[in-house]
Amino acid sequence: MLRYAARRLLTALPVLLIVSLLSFGIVWIVPGDVAAEMAGPTATAEELARLRERLGLTRPWHEQLVGWYGALLQGDLGESILLRQGVGSAIVERLPVTLSLTFVALAIAFVAGTGLGTLAAVRVGKAADRAAMGTALIGFSLPDFWLGLVLVYFFAVVLGWLPTGGYVPFAQDPLGWARSMLLPAATLALSQMGLFARMTRAAMLEVLRQDYVRTARAKGMPGWVVVGKHALRNALVPVVTVAGIACGVLLGGAVVIESVFSLPGVGRLIVGAIQRRDYPVIQGGLLLTATIFVLVNLAVDLLYALLDPRIRHGRR
Amino acid sequence: MLTRRNLGLVAGGLSLTRLGSPALAQGPRGQVVMAQQAQPPTLDAQVTTAQASRNISLHIHETLFARDEAGNPQPDLAEGVDIAADGLTYRFSLREARFHNGKTMTSADVKASLLRYGRVGGSAFIMQPVEAIDTPDPRTVVVRLKEPSPGFIAGISSPRAPCAIIPEEEAGKEANRVEVIGTGPFRFVEFRPDSHVRLSRFGDYVQNTRYRGMDGFAGRKVANVQDILIRFVPEAGARTAGLQAGEMQILEAIAVPAAERLKNDRNLQMHEMMPWSFQTLMLNHVMPPMDNPVFRRALQAALDLEEIMAISTDGLYRMTHGWQHPGTTYFAGDVGKPLYNINNKDRARALLREANYRGEEIILLGDSSFSNHQATIVTATEQLRSVGINIRTVITDWPTAFSQRTQRTGWHAWALMLGIEPYEGPYGVVGFFSGHAPVQHARDEVIDDCQRRLSTSLAEVDRKKAVADFQARMYDQAVAIKCGDVGIVQATRAQVRDYKPYRIPRMWGISLA
Repeated sequence: MLRYAARRLLTALPVLLIVSLLSFGIVWIVPGDVAAEMAGPTATAEELARLRERLGLTRPWHEQLVGWYGALLQGDLGESILLRQGVGSAIVERLPVTLSLTFVALAIAFVAGTGLGTLAAVRVGKAADRAAMGTALIGFSLPDFWLGLVLVYFFAVVLGWLPTGGYVPFAQDPLGWARSMLLPAATLALSQMGLFARMTRAAMLEVLRQDYVRTARAKGMPGWVVVGKHALRNALVPVVTVAGIACGVLLGGAVVIESVFSLPGVGRLIVGAIQRRDYPVIQGGLLLTATIFVLVNLAVDLLYALLDPRIRHGRR
Repeated sequence: MLTRRNLGLVAGGLSLTRLGSPALAQGPRGQVVMAQQAQPPTLDAQVTTAQASRNISLHIHETLFARDEAGNPQPDLAEGVDIAADGLTYRFSLREARFHNGKTMTSADVKASLLRYGRVGGSAFIMQPVEAIDTPDPRTVVVRLKEPSPGFIAGISSPRAPCAIIPEEEAGKEANRVEVIGTGPFRFVEFRPDSHVRLSRFGDYVQNTRYRGMDGFAGRKVANVQDILIRFVPEAGARTAGLQAGEMQILEAIAVPAAERLKNDRNLQMHEMMPWSFQTLMLNHVMPPMDNPVFRRALQAALDLEEIMAISTDGLYRMTHGWQHPGTTYFAGDVGKPLYNINNKDRARALLREANYRGEEIILLGDSSFSNHQATIVTATEQLRSVGINIRTVITDWPTAFSQRTQRTGWHAWALMLGIEPYEGPYGVVGFFSGHAPVQHARDEVIDDCQRRLSTSLAEVDRKKAVADFQARMYDQAVAIKCGDVGIVQATRAQVRDYKPYRIPRMWGISLA
């Protein structure tokens, strides 16, 4: 297993190299620069040119490329032009927000989705099945940003139970953290909950038709044990694979949710950097995002092997 | 002609505020939370013209002169200025002021700040006429100019990219490298990017006792609240929800439909600012056929500007032709008015024939970052197509559009809202179309001459004539198209007392009930 993990990590290196090259290149292809943001919308061409010079944006691309890789090899992602902060530390500062959001959303989506999917499979063709799948479909169809605003209106404005936005660090106030996470995570989770529910239902229907399930029932085993212990565990193998994909989707979706709920996460950092052309942050952010995707995929593969004893990647 | 929705808003009156609210008697207390859409690109006040920075930095920093409620320069950190008869020497006497690091402000700080502004300032051109700066004593600064520059005081008092006075030891630093230290009523505490800026009342602030109350960016600034939290909330709906829920007390701007919906909410107050800015279409004179003034006049004749304004502003607009706001010193009356909002398709078609237009593609450039820019372009596209102009619409994000417009090719017309420039007077507006890099990319000798006369004439009447000539030229040659005046609505919770809408949400003078 360790050898397999190491091999997967090594194969990720070319991916990251390509991502770093692309992120550097995109920055040179896309028009506009950070001077326009800093100088403001009505700056004249002369004012812009002067600011570009002062910010060192007029250096030739090959000089900047060498500087970028030279620093990268020393673990330095560069310094944000606008934030006056190292890109690495800016990302690390925001990671807890994005990871909190992503994993709380993943947990909600996974638990609620597999629950709904299992219910639908067990009650296939009945009202519960239709209700569960209807809920999943609605969750899958609603746009995040719209749903987020609707939830804010009801739970923050009308009921006053939860804040409209903002982030409270867990270490500062665990309850405040939970309150600040609940609405954005639930919003983000809803679409993926639908995906989990549909996947679980399909897998469970397949598993429930298997001989060993029939045998377990014939032995007089209680229904919840048959479903929970024997069927669900096997049905979860493909669902866990989907969890890896969902994790990536949730990370991407966090960008929108972070804006709607004013969460200072990595997504908002990168989108803001793109809008303002803060090149070092864009480059560092893309590289980091790619790294997270690679690691999540690796984790899913390893989890897959753990869940299904027949799979032994390391021995193949 | 005035057209705006009757929002039933609290009037954005420009009278001076009375001093001495009940909260002042009780001492400063509480935290006020203000929400704005964007986060500041930098807190180096001198460098940027961004509204998001100005909202914050003008609570921290002060300038020698600052604009009053009517937009006229008034002494702020200066007690006054003596201008020599030849217009070449400005002798500023300084009032007592203290920096947030505890240091007393001296003429050395002022000199270093002005010199830095000439190097890194967002409107550094205002320092170009300066030959030398002397500091005969700690409370006197003497600025000598190479040539008369009657716009000098207007320049150093402009909030566009404020010529902030900072400690001498900071003034040697590069753009975006300074510590945020000013003399204003609030001091900088922290900046959490993508989240907030926190300011706190500066206990040793030296009030300007020349004034009885607040007056624009000048006047007597009294901090009645202890802390200010400025949150960056990009989503308009979330800002409105935050205001309704009571998490935020002041919104920099609220969408006009939301203001309409909430105008009867007893817990909220809507404050209309009219005018806030100009909506314009800038034209690129080096891209054929836009190099032909007859073709530009065809555009001028074809556009239904009222429709553009109605769509792009959600109804909060005013149809005025002036390139200066009515009621201000340099408003040029009816000059050019007959050529404003002509909306005559037959005349436009005739002008197109006269210009020998053969269906060349015309690129209208806009951006989706500012919704009114995009709406202006989309509406203008349909109107120009209706007279037979072959239009291609290019909508990008703001940095891309802004970068494209600095190029001589790739665009014919570009939507831009001019906000702070018309507010600060004629210098920025005329400057946009003159000099070495005018927005239209082709120098116009008449406008250059207007700029020269505006910048050097000592008599106000001559400067007014220069602005009137500029406006005449703008319409006669269809240099650019002014669509109309745009308004804005600021919003507060009812608990915020003595709030007066202005170019930024001012949090001195207010108190919390």
